[in-house]
Amino acid sequence: MRLTALFALALTLGGCAGDARRAAPEAVTLNFWNGFTGPDGATMEKIVRAFNKSHPDIRVKMQIIPWGTYYDKVTLGLAFGGAPDVLILHSNRFPEFANYSSLGRLDDLVKRPGFDESDFAEGPWAAGVWKGTRYAIPLDCHPIGLYYNTRLFRQAGIVDAAGNAKPPETLDEFLSAARKLTVDANGDGKPEQWGFAYTWLRTNAFTFLHQFGADILTPDFRRSGLDAPDAARALGLMQDLCYKEKVCPKPEGADAWMGFQTGKVAMALEGVYMLTSLEEQEDLEFAGAPCPLFGRRRAVWASTHLLAMPAAVDARKREAAWTFMRYLSDHSLDWARGGQVPVRQSILNSPGFKKLQVQYEFSKELPYIAYEPPTVSYNQVVPFYDAAIEASLNRIKPTDEALSEAARRINEVLERE
Amino acid sequence: MKRNQGLSAALFLLPYATLFAVFVLAPAVYGFWVSLHKWHILSPSAPFVGFGNYRQVLQDDLFRIAFLRTAYFVLMVVPIGNALSLLLAVGLAQDYKGTTLYKVAFYLPVVTSVAVVALLWRWLLSAEFGLINYYIGKGAEMVNSLGPRVISAHAASLPWLNSPALAMPAIAMLSIWWGAGGNMLIYLAGLKAVPRELLEAASIDGATPWQRFWRVTWPLLRPTVLFCLVMSVIASSQVFGQTFILTGGGPYYSTLTVVLYMYQQGFGLYQLGYACAVAYVLFVAVLAFTLLQFRLLAVRQ
Amino acid sequence: MRTGLERLRNALGQIALAAGALAMASPLLWMLSTSLKPKTEILKATPRWIPNPPTLSNYVELFTRTEEFPVLRWLANSIFVSLSVTILVLFVTSTAAFAFSRLRFKGRETLFMIAVATLIIPGQVVLIPVFLIVEKLGWFNSYAGLIIPGLAGAFGVFLLRQFFMTIPEELEEAAVVDGASVWTIYWRVILPLARPALATLAIFTFMGAWNDFVWPLIITNDVTMRTLPVGLAIFQGRYTLDYGLTMAAAAVCSAPVIVAFLIFQRSITEGIVMTGLKG
Repeated sequence: MRLTALFALALTLGGCAGDARRAAPEAVTLNFWNGFTGPDGATMEKIVRAFNKSHPDIRVKMQIIPWGTYYDKVTLGLAFGGAPDVLILHSNRFPEFANYSSLGRLDDLVKRPGFDESDFAEGPWAAGVWKGTRYAIPLDCHPIGLYYNTRLFRQAGIVDAAGNAKPPETLDEFLSAARKLTVDANGDGKPEQWGFAYTWLRTNAFTFLHQFGADILTPDFRRSGLDAPDAARALGLMQDLCYKEKVCPKPEGADAWMGFQTGKVAMALEGVYMLTSLEEQEDLEFAGAPCPLFGRRRAVWASTHLLAMPAAVDARKREAAWTFMRYLSDHSLDWARGGQVPVRQSILNSPGFKKLQVQYEFSKELPYIAYEPPTVSYNQVVPFYDAAIEASLNRIKPTDEALSEAARRINEVLERE
Repeated sequence: MKRNQGLSAALFLLPYATLFAVFVLAPAVYGFWVSLHKWHILSPSAPFVGFGNYRQVLQDDLFRIAFLRTAYFVLMVVPIGNALSLLLAVGLAQDYKGTTLYKVAFYLPVVTSVAVVALLWRWLLSAEFGLINYYIGKGAEMVNSLGPRVISAHAASLPWLNSPALAMPAIAMLSIWWGAGGNMLIYLAGLKAVPRELLEAASIDGATPWQRFWRVTWPLLRPTVLFCLVMSVIASSQVFGQTFILTGGGPYYSTLTVVLYMYQQGFGLYQLGYACAVAYVLFVAVLAFTLLQFRLLAVRQ
Repeated sequence: MRTGLERLRNALGQIALAAGALAMASPLLWMLSTSLKPKTEILKATPRWIPNPPTLSNYVELFTRTEEFPVLRWLANSIFVSLSVTILVLFVTSTAAFAFSRLRFKGRETLFMIAVATLIIPGQVVLIPVFLIVEKLGWFNSYAGLIIPGLAGAFGVFLLRQFFMTIPEELEEAAVVDGASVWTIYWRVILPLARPALATLAIFTFMGAWNDFVWPLIITNDVTMRTLPVGLAIFQGRYTLDYGLTMAAAAVCSAPVIVAFLIFQRSITEGIVMTGLKG
């Protein structure tokens, strides 16, 4: 009897002490959606767990949805209810959601003292703005860059003075290396080893287009830029690599990435996010380098994971979501380890980041990254571009025809906007 | 004698009628209503545009492509498929030994899902390792061994689903395989309904089996044929699963079908108003074609 | 009186028919064969029909890699949905067919014509409005959404009505004399006599529900809510070239309906006869 009374007393006193100044608020639950199904999902999970531990008043529940259905769920969630509190959006899909007022405005939040806008790299920072209003902040940047097989390079004698593999920086160096690295030992016309191979045509072709000064849309984003002569020139070079120089296989049916993973392809342009799939290959010796200069100016395809919240979210959740978003950004070095490039200058300049070879090399591209053009009709426009590239590079249609058809269709869509 | 059983009828009809009203009638009307608006699923507003969407559909060159590719598909599948079904039915109607086994074998593909058919045929149509190319190669070898090299070696590695010229015929081929058994049973029933006396009488008159078929069987079979053709056209004009799973409309729009285009517009781009308009244009086209079939092929009594 | 020519024709016909049957069934046999081969034996220039050695490794992999493709969950969903649809369809269509065939009321023929006329509407045309209506009901990504919209097909009502009309009125009248209510007539007199037609409808409905692809594709969003055909189609995108695995998945998806078909094939063929003939 006495024990119970003492116990009850202790509880009450203890409770009172805690409640002395203010009532402890119950934790805010945040639903966080993303599509990180691969190893990057595990990386993100660690960061989220650390956040939950250090922020007892906020509980983040992460849900990973495969990218294939991700945007369907997000769209339906925002339209009919059930949307998350914090979500990831790719920079190319961002305009759609921003335009329909589905996302919450963040202008007041970034203007708060203690938040340093200038620490963010310019391009990615601008990607979160639509028509003058900020709806998202960038978590990272993932450009494509040159992956190269260092062992094959050394074997072919493409080395620097110290005997390390030397990645090409110009078109000439690239061609010379690719020629040396394309090996057809039995002379049957099907090389056992390729110097280069196209991976995701969308990103590869986009890079070439931009290096020649072309783009999917014109700079005012009102018309298609694919019928410009520079676009045809860019594709012409891409075709030459395959059909004239014969240093890369025909894109259709070729599994270029698997070829690189198994050492049958010596160079490939792929995203920094593919890094973990290479690290898993035990026997592969590889390194990363900025994309070579194929055309007139430096450019490389990139995308960014933006952090956003829905427009309809109550004040308390909004604060919690902002705290979480800032935390993710502050810890983007951890995130970078999974195969991303951070966009905070302070982190980019840190010694910890410089140790990540591929990410560090790819981060050198930040000054000249090229995002896909921001347009509300992105989802309608890009398939036309994809189809044209595929048709041209696989020689299903002559380049001029493919490009002008795509341009015509894109213009029709843009006119209807 | 029997009083009006209105109340009982109403109660008995209630479950079905409710479901029918909500899931068959209402959508038909609502869909048309939606098609008169410009409505993106996220958009806060959905302005009424009258027939604007329909005008756009008729000017949309991708819709035109989808329509033509669908027509191409229908023109391959319906005649060839029905001819095959009829042929198989004739074979079964002979009542040979083991007919049940054959009937089961012919109908078996019908019983599988489009997903299974698609997966299976992707494997069969593999350019390098698929069965189809293997047997084509063997056939080419046989023909070539008879004399000069008539058929090139490339026949043994046709890039079916990757070639804009071959992809749709490949999809037609697998669709015929998938559906032939269905109409076969209907034709079989029709054939069995032909009175034996008529056939025997024709036989006694010295008619060959060919003549027996055309003079006696065919006229009696015509209503069944019309029915099957109409249903085949309606079904094949809605082709979706095969193209969605195998090609996604490619390569280069060569297998883009109307329902796939509608799906892309409605569930990919979330342009609900426009997608509904596409659906209704298809409906009107199929209806018109069906009426045309009735006029051209129906038996004048 | 069979002439030599007739005998030859018969023989050729039988051979052709047998060869045709083998050709039609061979893709399915090849599917089974591939699923039982070890991965290294599949991509060969010369195909072998008999797996050597046969192995269940593809099936084991299919059922154990549940993170990437929860096949058992899909299978359970398919079973639950198909059975539910079948049972509900039997109830809903038999009551309607009973009303249309055995009960007298104004407008009976007109209403029936309306129902049958909808067979002409291509189902895909109303896909989007049905989706929107189901969403408004709150049934998106739910079992209700998978099961209920498909119940109102006109085919079943048509089939059962045809059959019910063949049941002699005297049986009904005898029951009425005994004081039976309308429900009793339906439940105790008509339904038991209609067993063959009900069985046919049940098997058709089950197969149709099992194989349905487009509707489950649209109405489900979560990988755990998918039915087998939809799950297959989506997962095969990533494992396109792993033919052993995809053929095993295809086999699992088609085995139940093939088995059901083989057991009930007589009912099915007779059922088609019942509908097809009226023209």
